[in-house]
Amino acid sequence: MRKSIAGFAAAAAFAVVAAGCSDPTTAEAPDSSSSAGGEMAAEQWPAQDTSRDGVTLTIWAAQNSTQTAESVATEFEELTGATVNIETIPDPYEQSIQTKVATGDMPDLAFWQPTASMLTALNAKTNLQPLDGAPWVDSYTGSLADMTGLLDGTRYAALVTTPAVEGVYYNKDLFEQAGITETPSNWDEMIEDADTLKAAGITPFYEMAADRWATQWWVQVQLADAAADGLWDRVNANEETFTDPTILGAIENYKSLIDDGYFNDDIKTATFIDQGNALLDDEAAMVMQVNSYFGQLQSLTDSATLDEKVGFFPISPSGNVGTFIPDQSNAVVAFATGDDEREATARQFLSYWLGDGYQSFVDTVETVSLQDGVESPAGVPMALQEVAASLDNSVGSMQALAIANPDLYIYLADMIQGTKTPQEVAEATQQQFAEFAAAQGAAGF
Amino acid sequence: MTTTLLPARRKDQPRDARLADRRSRQDHPSWFLWPALAMLVIFFFTPTIYNFVYAFTDWSSFKSEIGFVGFDNFVKLLQNGSLLSDLRVTLVYAILVAIFQNLFGLGLALVLERDTRINRFARAAFFVPVIMSALAVGYVFQAILKPDGVLNNFLTTLTGGEVSIPWLGSTTWTIVVVAIIHAWKWMGLSMLIYLAGLKTINEEVIEAAQLDGAGYWRIFKAVRWPLLAPAVTFNFATALLGSMNGFDIVQATTAGGPGGSTELLNIFIFRTFGQGLFAQATAMSLVLFLVVALLAFPVIIYLRRRERVL
Repeated sequence: MRKSIAGFAAAAAFAVVAAGCSDPTTAEAPDSSSSAGGEMAAEQWPAQDTSRDGVTLTIWAAQNSTQTAESVATEFEELTGATVNIETIPDPYEQSIQTKVATGDMPDLAFWQPTASMLTALNAKTNLQPLDGAPWVDSYTGSLADMTGLLDGTRYAALVTTPAVEGVYYNKDLFEQAGITETPSNWDEMIEDADTLKAAGITPFYEMAADRWATQWWVQVQLADAAADGLWDRVNANEETFTDPTILGAIENYKSLIDDGYFNDDIKTATFIDQGNALLDDEAAMVMQVNSYFGQLQSLTDSATLDEKVGFFPISPSGNVGTFIPDQSNAVVAFATGDDEREATARQFLSYWLGDGYQSFVDTVETVSLQDGVESPAGVPMALQEVAASLDNSVGSMQALAIANPDLYIYLADMIQGTKTPQEVAEATQQQFAEFAAAQGAAGF
Repeated sequence: MTTTLLPARRKDQPRDARLADRRSRQDHPSWFLWPALAMLVIFFFTPTIYNFVYAFTDWSSFKSEIGFVGFDNFVKLLQNGSLLSDLRVTLVYAILVAIFQNLFGLGLALVLERDTRINRFARAAFFVPVIMSALAVGYVFQAILKPDGVLNNFLTTLTGGEVSIPWLGSTTWTIVVVAIIHAWKWMGLSMLIYLAGLKTINEEVIEAAQLDGAGYWRIFKAVRWPLLAPAVTFNFATALLGSMNGFDIVQATTAGGPGGSTELLNIFIFRTFGQGLFAQATAMSLVLFLVVALLAFPVIIYLRRRERVL
């Protein structure tokens, strides 16, 4: 009896292991890009109002993007007869999605960070539909079309809202109080302004090391010039590392600014929420942040007050070049589910969203338009318009241009807490980067 | 498993006994086991076996193929300082939790030992945290322990001076604070087991000690504590080994911070898995499994031996 149970258990376990030892997502993706000819192109990008009765699309969204697609989904349902379900996936969103997709569970569409590293993390070449030749690509303003959403030359993500830009949100009142009339036009001028503020008894910068994630912006904006010069290409090829002078220097510089008292005293325990309050309550003059920070400010006060009180300028060592970092709420990817009709409907939905439905979309969610022929609504706050305006000459962040996204922010937070030196931060980041790159099979690692 | 645990039928047994033996076997047909066994195989054995298998592969979210890579993952992990430092943090955390949880639990059991109405209510009240969601407990304590949180406000009112201690901001002491939170959550369970242990102590033994003129502490030290040994074994072992697998409370309060000083191995595993390095994460959890197993045997053997000596 005992033997037979043990035997059964072992056999069952072996069977499951043998069956399970292949990745459920391995199944060949239907290669829709191989379709050739005009007829096939029409099939690839169906007319926006093609009837889709009985087709159900599922969209995965994070807590902060779940409202974004609501209005456009409703309009699409009315237009085509399709049903669009938006499912909110709990945070940490990216981790949940990666795990689900790795186990073979996938929606038709999902909000996703459109950077090469995050597309790689989703194994885009197997799991996502290529969006090459999409009808909306030519309508993007400026260089938006080439900026992001691409992996090895193939488009996998559709940008729907303005990518975030790393830059400085500043308190206009405090600048005025310290006698600063113009925003700085390069890094050194910003530090000079910080000295002026400090002399006037005002804390120049506010950082939130307890919540950790914003620490990396300080290093990344210092790398803007180098990034324009191909820094991340060299890092991707393992020709340059985080421990080399460029990146290590930026980390050391950040550390010395903290040590020299340019930041809030409670930097170790301050949180994202504290950071929002600090700028509005005149506790500090400048905050290095991205768009979601402005969202936090909007939740604290009205647009008129913000227009009056808070401004934005991009910064880089040599000028006012922003560092763009598209996030999950900015773009949508379509999955290769293997169901031809649903895949086509998903592409059609994107065509509608960024086509006939785009004006109504930007009006409803009050965001900056990404398209030439579509006007931004009047209600978009000034700082956000400044952010959008800085996009055109901006350069890519580590997330946008590097093939992997190491936990630089955690190590920097460790540095602020005093458990890592700048050298150790660089080493830990490089080690992790190399691990990711090796897992991807990148050349040189 | 009842059937298999019965002694094997012996030839020299009388016929009646053999019949009774067979009848008792037939009372519990073996297929009664199957549902439970199926659950065990599907939800316990299989994942554990996967845990062993995938640790030796290069499974990741970056590509579709899964190939065997031998001990590569383990070699890399050992070269990476994070694993060892996180193991150290995990061990320190587990020991702290085991100590605090047993101190709190024993203290409560002694205070609430008598069966009065108030005590019964208090026992129930102290058991509530055990059934609360660990994440909820973590978030509540995070709010209480913030620099401008309830605790500091209370201390400010109490002392008159401004108190703004960052309870969760010290790279040295936060691990103690978090261990105390963990112990607070589970102390109700330890209390219950100690209470049960205290109840099993024969009244006559205590009475004899009292007649000999022993006071409360003397009785506790010389009579009750030694007789509580089985409860200590269980409580200490479960607290220590359970908190080796700790994750939720620490994730909710500090997420491994400040400066990685509370980064338990499970938090590191969670982070690695979330980044798509599934095989490395699996290898780490295999390491954790082995460490817990290696720790379990000596600890339990030692505590058992201690019971016998006492």
